[in-house]
Amino acid sequence: MADKQYKLTFCDGSGCLKNHAREFRQLFEEELRRHQIQQNVQIHLSGCLGMCTKGPILIVNPGYIMYGNLRPEDAAEIVQEHLVNGRPVSRLIIQEDHLYNRFFRIFGDSEFFGRQMRIALRNCGVIDPEKIDDYLAMRGYEALAKVLTEMTPQQVIEEVKKSGLRGRGGAGFPTGLKWEYTAKQSDPEKYVICNADEGDPGAFMDRSAIEGDPHTVLEGMIIGGYAIGSRQGIIYIRAEYPLAVQRLKKAIEDARREGFLGERILGTDFSFDIRICLGAGAFVCGEETALIHSIEGFRGMPRPRPPYPSVSGLFGKPTLINNVETWANIPVIIIDGADWFSRIGTATSKGTKVFALAGKVRNTGLVEVPMGTTLRDIIFGIGGGIPNGKKFKAVQTGGPSGGCLPEKYLDTQIDYESLAKAGSIMGSGGMIVIDEDSCMVRMARFFVEFTQDESCGKCTPCREGTKRMLEILTRITRGQGKPGDIEKLERLGTMIQKASLCGLGQSAPNPVLSTIRNFREEYEEHIHQKKCRARECTALLSFVVQDNCVGCGACKRVCPVNAVSGNRKEKHSINPNLCIKCGQCYDACKFNAIAKV
Amino acid sequence: MDLIRKKRAEAVNRIISKGYLSTKRVYVGMATCEIAAGSKEVMAVFQDAIAKGLTDVYLSQKGCAGRCNLEPTVEVVEEGKIPVKYGLVTPERAREIIERHLKKGEVIQEWVI
Repeated sequence: MADKQYKLTFCDGSGCLKNHAREFRQLFEEELRRHQIQQNVQIHLSGCLGMCTKGPILIVNPGYIMYGNLRPEDAAEIVQEHLVNGRPVSRLIIQEDHLYNRFFRIFGDSEFFGRQMRIALRNCGVIDPEKIDDYLAMRGYEALAKVLTEMTPQQVIEEVKKSGLRGRGGAGFPTGLKWEYTAKQSDPEKYVICNADEGDPGAFMDRSAIEGDPHTVLEGMIIGGYAIGSRQGIIYIRAEYPLAVQRLKKAIEDARREGFLGERILGTDFSFDIRICLGAGAFVCGEETALIHSIEGFRGMPRPRPPYPSVSGLFGKPTLINNVETWANIPVIIIDGADWFSRIGTATSKGTKVFALAGKVRNTGLVEVPMGTTLRDIIFGIGGGIPNGKKFKAVQTGGPSGGCLPEKYLDTQIDYESLAKAGSIMGSGGMIVIDEDSCMVRMARFFVEFTQDESCGKCTPCREGTKRMLEILTRITRGQGKPGDIEKLERLGTMIQKASLCGLGQSAPNPVLSTIRNFREEYEEHIHQKKCRARECTALLSFVVQDNCVGCGACKRVCPVNAVSGNRKEKHSINPNLCIKCGQCYDACKFNAIAKV
Repeated sequence: MDLIRKKRAEAVNRIISKGYLSTKRVYVGMATCEIAAGSKEVMAVFQDAIAKGLTDVYLSQKGCAGRCNLEPTVEVVEEGKIPVKYGLVTPERAREIIERHLKKGEVIQEWVI
């Protein structure tokens, strides 16, 4: 009888399931029952572990012993030998040394982390971000050494192309192609830029990645510099991320000291250095041409493309811009190989994606999952579902440029194309869950207010159009909506999409158009019946005292306009003509006797 | 390539020389979000305990693992044992983790993530 508790993790990814992982698990559980040790064993299911060719996979903790290629008859042996007798079955143990497994060693046994697959964030939460030694111990800068000594720039580009990696900033342009275009330019002076100007409300993927593991971003950039023939890298990061900036600075200093940055890196002929450029937090500066203008010292405003930055970017020189998460993937692709990387994900989108899961969901946090995971798996699996027994209403992806997807899209497999088809976008990775208590019109209004505020003003449709949209939406939420407003919003939205120069304007109407498409009835209720079903638009509500009022007077005391009347211990009432709908009485009532109707 | 292998070996040696293998390793999450949730205070408790003579502990910080609603988080990792992850750690809880887990080896189940 085993005297200590074991934690077992079964891979439940689709590759393993094809190899009868579920049947194996059932057999295994029968064996546990036969030996009557099931109470000493805790079983977890994990998402894809990236070892699909060796499935089914089972990991036994303590010790992090990994079994692979399991056949039905192995179940009895593992239970008998390992779990009962305490002798791991060496003939079935597999050695896998993929970079992301380090994270899994510590976090793999919990429901929230176990179902994730961490590539870009592989070291976040595992190493001390301020110690280059920790990074080196995790095979840090090995990819750089491999590239400098064993690969030509052309081979590096081929490897990145073969991996199928696409830009993680949102648009999903194939990274390898971008590298190739920039490398082809004959200009001897080229630049590498890391776009860390993360601006979506509620998104913090890049911040966490840099704060948790700054060196991987640097390593990715140096490899990029080698591939395209550049000597100078720039990280454009917003000044609102002081800790991230501080850790980057420390990382750059350490890397210089160790000879990973500067002249003649690791004794080769290749020289490359990185500097940090602080942005002032304008949303539009996440757009690449605006970002370049900002680095050059001009006002952050986009310009028409082409020419693309890969031809004429920073100071008119060929420039390679990638997002933080894209850079963080590069060392893994070099070490574990493009073949391995391209096995993860869907036909068109390879690898993993980081999402910042927020809103009305039990487990909020950073989530990195393989492409092809369904929205349902993320929200109800990893996220643990909606708290307080509320009903799921929609999920908003892609921040202010994205859209709201209702329940019928929950089984959408996440990749660039499927999200676009469903009417939203991948974006940089914001994911906000909305429950039945949130009003979709207000939600749309919030995002338009944001983009309206952040519009740089260059294109009239974006500058004036979003302003008009905001006015209409504000009117609707105040109960002053008019018939024809929805059509007007649709017309305006399509026009802004078509006539704006950059991504900000082209995508600004998305939150409105997608909520109209999926929740048109809510707009109609607001306009025609002056009703808000989520009871969020206070102007459309009236506060009414119900019969269970005990007459305590709490509401009367807090009312700022003396709209509440009634004697002690008698039912009170609210005068609708005086009420300003501030909601204070509703919050003050201890008996839930005030209703919003 | 040889150079990087050497550098890695040196780095690993430096980490081990700080007592990485022989002891319990304690990681405190120190990203912006965790600091906002109060991890600096938690870190201070551990630092204080070590200054006052707590031995056999390798204290380190780490970035955000992404478990936002349970921050600050603290991990206790021991060679050959299942890593323990604590959530919502306050200075009081940190003191108790030191007393019960680090000194007596007891895992405080109800705070485990």
